[in-house]
Amino acid sequence: MNALEIENISKRFGDFYAVKNLSFNIPKASIYGLLGPNGAGKTTTIRMVMDIIIPDEGAIKVLDGKMDEGMKQRVGYLPEDRGFYPKMKVGEILLFLADLKGLKRQEARKRIDFWLERFDLADWKQKKVEELSRGMQQKLQFIATVIHQPEIIILDEPFGGLDPINTKLLKDIMLEMRGKGGTIIFSTHRMEQIEMICNNICLINKAERVLEGNLNQIKKQYGKNTVVLDYEGDAGFIKNFPGTDKIDDYGKFMEIKIKEQTDPQDLLNKLVGRIKINKFEVREPSLNAIFIDIVGEKNAQDTVSH
Amino acid sequence: MHKILSVIKREYIQIIRTKGFIIGTILGPVVMAAFIVVPVAIQFISVDQQERIGVIDKTREVFMELDNKLDQKLKDGTRRYLLEEFRPSANIEELLQELNKKVLNKELSAYIFIPKDISEGGEAEYVSEHVSDFDKRGNINQALSSIIIGKRLRGEGLDPQKIGEYMRPVKLTTKKVTKRGVEKDTGGTFIISYLLVLILYMTLIFYGQIILRGVIEEKSSRVVEIVLSSLKPFQLMTGKIVGIAAVGFTQYAIWALFGLAVSQYSKDLILRFFPAAAAFEVPTIPSYIFIYFVIFFILGYFLYATLYAAIGSMVNSEKEAQSLVMPVTMFLIVPILLMLFVMKSPNSSFSVVLSMIPFFAPILMLLRICVLLPPFTQIAGSIVLLVLTTLLMIWITAKIYRVGILMYGKRPNFKEIVKWMKYG
Repeated sequence: MNALEIENISKRFGDFYAVKNLSFNIPKASIYGLLGPNGAGKTTTIRMVMDIIIPDEGAIKVLDGKMDEGMKQRVGYLPEDRGFYPKMKVGEILLFLADLKGLKRQEARKRIDFWLERFDLADWKQKKVEELSRGMQQKLQFIATVIHQPEIIILDEPFGGLDPINTKLLKDIMLEMRGKGGTIIFSTHRMEQIEMICNNICLINKAERVLEGNLNQIKKQYGKNTVVLDYEGDAGFIKNFPGTDKIDDYGKFMEIKIKEQTDPQDLLNKLVGRIKINKFEVREPSLNAIFIDIVGEKNAQDTVSH
Repeated sequence: MHKILSVIKREYIQIIRTKGFIIGTILGPVVMAAFIVVPVAIQFISVDQQERIGVIDKTREVFMELDNKLDQKLKDGTRRYLLEEFRPSANIEELLQELNKKVLNKELSAYIFIPKDISEGGEAEYVSEHVSDFDKRGNINQALSSIIIGKRLRGEGLDPQKIGEYMRPVKLTTKKVTKRGVEKDTGGTFIISYLLVLILYMTLIFYGQIILRGVIEEKSSRVVEIVLSSLKPFQLMTGKIVGIAAVGFTQYAIWALFGLAVSQYSKDLILRFFPAAAAFEVPTIPSYIFIYFVIFFILGYFLYATLYAAIGSMVNSEKEAQSLVMPVTMFLIVPILLMLFVMKSPNSSFSVVLSMIPFFAPILMLLRICVLLPPFTQIAGSIVLLVLTTLLMIWITAKIYRVGILMYGKRPNFKEIVKWMKYG
């Protein structure tokens, strides 16, 4: 059973395709990552799911129907462009948004108190939104997204602006919701977040789908062609080693894609004695590497052909 | 429907609580009361002070009579004018100099010079520091005239007993002819028309600005998309416009109650302070004018509210909105500029045509109804046109709004807005 089925949707603004022939399914009780570089079409896709933008072509099925007023009660949405009425009090704005979701007043009040407590915002209930910091507002916006206990929550760049503690809190809540049978869809351009919690992903680039499916399977497809190196010293000489294909150097940390016929042991032998090695691991590529591999190449091609 | 209601409630409560609303609501009646009371008060406020007036009477016959005639009383029953005679000495110039000095020193508030030949057409002089005191001058002029005319008539041998009767001033009452017959009018039509049209104009601009600011705030605070996860843009727009209309009605209701109280008690109030104002009549508003006022306010409000909402959705800041708001404000200012013209000739074909144009109709048709009830077909015609235009504007605005509220960055040009409307 799928929580969301997207079939061949397209959206054009003038001559510009924001989304082109996009299809994917999201199974229930999973966390689904929508990734892609800035401007790939993630937000447009999500807005079409939310019925804020109407697709030119294609069909979107949400749970057992389509996104109408009733369905909006069962979905929680955290947009990328988000904020609150600055002059309203924290308690008021949450009550208003809960009211829009059809929540009874009594029940809404109870849940607002519960969530404010959980996010450590209880003291701020009577304060105006404009007095809150950006991070606090982020947390409030998340509360507004889940206050009505939706079956699906859609989060557009949910981690932007959150500190590590709140990022962890948010991640925990997402996992908890999945545990209760909820479906979470979120978009990001930061791979490490997806790698940690997503079951399935869809990679969008330039309005089109370039990769879709189960994250583990995708990684397996790429095989164990990657060496992860944690080192100290000057490792610039590695790029001269004929067995390497692509190197992503962070200064202390390096992700090396090796050629198919290359034995990782040969590479290790070359390194020993020249730099200090803290870790040498052979594994499947990180999502980041896959992302850059696919998107980087494609965008480079497009730039040439333009 | 429940969702629109939630939006209406939020808008209503949020605005009712603002300082602007509270101050505006209190200030409104004060301004309104000022409109009615101040002109009356100003006329009579100077009554409060006793004034010494010097008289140089070269005829030596007028002073006593003038002293009797100028018997206007102050509130406390004492005389308003204290007259003091100055005998013309041999050197009249010296006396005039002296009196001028007294006026400047405020020993006298004015003096009157009556020439010897006043009965034969010689001109009397009134000398004062400020000669704009129409009230005082009027009193003196009237008293002096009636004395001199009386003297002339006596000179012609008329019975002094009867002269008083002959001299009775003529009373002039103004009446207004309408379909329902002749009504007494003491200038109230003008005041009412002026007041109602001004209220309509100010509230349309005021509430239009509130809507504009509200839409821009929703956009710039980025709350709009969160709200749209629960309802449709059209529901949001409708809720906002209706909610602010409810604020407007609340404000009007408060004002109407106040106005009612004022029209009930204002006369007593004014009379208590200014007994001389007994002749003044507080204008009352005929019920048909009131009904048309409500109709044109509602229609005008929805027409302009949608325009302001559309503009708000197109821009990113209030500053950016200014150049787009200008033409809309012009639609409201033009009828105000044409007001006097339409009042003077409410049935000229120019006035008729202007009052049929939907953007002008709320103000100009209402004005015509106040001044001179136009044929019903014209009123109905303007209302139908106004309703159709408003529906059209709502339809267009809904399309612009739907796209506009999610568009950030550069302000769109006209071509882009037309494109938006095709996005559906």
